[in-house]
Amino acid sequence: MRRIPSWHAVWGLRAAALILLFWLWERAGRQPGAYGIPAASATAAAFWQLLTSGALIAAVGTSARSFVLGFGPAVLVGIPVGLLMAFVPPLGRMARVYLDVAMAVPMAAVVPLVILTLGINVAAVALVVFVFSMPFVASNTYGGVREVSPRLIEMALAFDARRRHILFKILLPGAMPMILAGIRYGLARAFVGLVVAELLLAPFGLGELIADARSTFDFDRMFASVLALLLAAVVVISGVQRLEGRLLHWRQ
Amino acid sequence: MVPDRAVMASERDVALDIRIQGVSKSFGSVAALAGVSLTIRPGEFVAIIGPSGCGKTTLLKIVAGLVAPDAGTVAIGGTRVTGPGPDRAVVFQDFALMPWATVLRNVAFGLELRGVGRRQREEVARRIIARVGLAGFEHHYPHQLSGGMQQRVGVARALAVNPKVLLMDEPFASVDEQTRRLLQDDLLDLWAEERKTIVLVTHSMDEAVYLSDRVVVLSPRPARVVGEIQVDLPRPRSSKTTRTSAAFAGLVEDLWGMLKEMQ
Repeated sequence: MRRIPSWHAVWGLRAAALILLFWLWERAGRQPGAYGIPAASATAAAFWQLLTSGALIAAVGTSARSFVLGFGPAVLVGIPVGLLMAFVPPLGRMARVYLDVAMAVPMAAVVPLVILTLGINVAAVALVVFVFSMPFVASNTYGGVREVSPRLIEMALAFDARRRHILFKILLPGAMPMILAGIRYGLARAFVGLVVAELLLAPFGLGELIADARSTFDFDRMFASVLALLLAAVVVISGVQRLEGRLLHWRQ
Repeated sequence: MVPDRAVMASERDVALDIRIQGVSKSFGSVAALAGVSLTIRPGEFVAIIGPSGCGKTTLLKIVAGLVAPDAGTVAIGGTRVTGPGPDRAVVFQDFALMPWATVLRNVAFGLELRGVGRRQREEVARRIIARVGLAGFEHHYPHQLSGGMQQRVGVARALAVNPKVLLMDEPFASVDEQTRRLLQDDLLDLWAEERKTIVLVTHSMDEAVYLSDRVVVLSPRPARVVGEIQVDLPRPRSSKTTRTSAAFAGLVEDLWGMLKEMQ
């Protein structure tokens, strides 16, 4: 009989995997000629230096601002757009094509257009984050509402529900699992948008930190900056997963 | 259990009659109902039976106010039906429970839609939950319950709004035979206590005869009323006394005779 691993065992294994990774990384970095691969210890030292100098916090602050300015509106626009598409079927059928295209094409291609229009500034970064993530939120909201059982709507109508009741008490809670999944996908995409914009075209925040270190061949610092970006993504995405767990506890 | 006197009194006193007159309904080119007329007395338990796909459920939805008839009228207690109303509640075949809501919230949902305060509606819901035998399951979610328990929630939700008319759309068709019999007996008990007007759509001849005062037989699509059977079996009924009686077998056989002609 298979035993379900306990909470401790799972975390133990995760920690072991992480330690193994760092050990391999350290070994790789200490190989002679591994010029472009700073050892784990060197990266950690650079990380600490970035942290204490305040450079990292300033960069994270700048990136976070672009992120929030882009992803916040993506959620605030995406959900109503998805709802509207679900409520007005012809609009839904029409707009769906564009959402599908927006999710399928390499969005990075629009970055130069955005920069050209808005210039090299934080607003441009935020807009890139927005166009990367919004289609996922809207598309999942649309799909989620359409998947709510019509029987539940009929049930609510039989109990004399008003339109707003149908929306807030049936459609939104019914679509919530998909809306949250859309927010999670959108979040991952928003990070891609942030990195693409900051790294390639509008050097601000963490992207600027990475680009700076690269241009001066300071690979310790570059790795540390990349690590900071990954950490930020992990923290945000696991936050959303926790939120999903809380809101969707009825599914367990 | 302490009964809420005001609620219990009004539950006992008021049952309403249903007058269905010349109701027709088509969906596109498919005629579902062709001039159905039927009068149901206050507090009467009527079962509607007919070949599958004959429009029984459509008729129930018209009475519920969920579907508008193309012709004809439905009046409940003398008031013409133009939409759903607080005098009626529906029990659905597939339960139609909100999976994200607890038993308590599902049962209280009709009252929630009516703007009844949380405390009050949960108090009513708890009482009804206990009455359908689900005390202790208030905070469970539907997927944690068996089919039979889920339909108890469906029945409790309908009872919680204290309807004068209970409309049941093949309520026990999705549960197994043993559970079905338990639910049928519970329904008989509830009805004996409250004497609501009940319209039960079913495809089970046994169920129709066992539960109702009168079985109305519909024809294949487009449905019309082709006959009815008075079920004058004594009450209270129980499986042991009722189902074993010759009268019960005779009535089921009469019903089968009417349905067989239409096959």
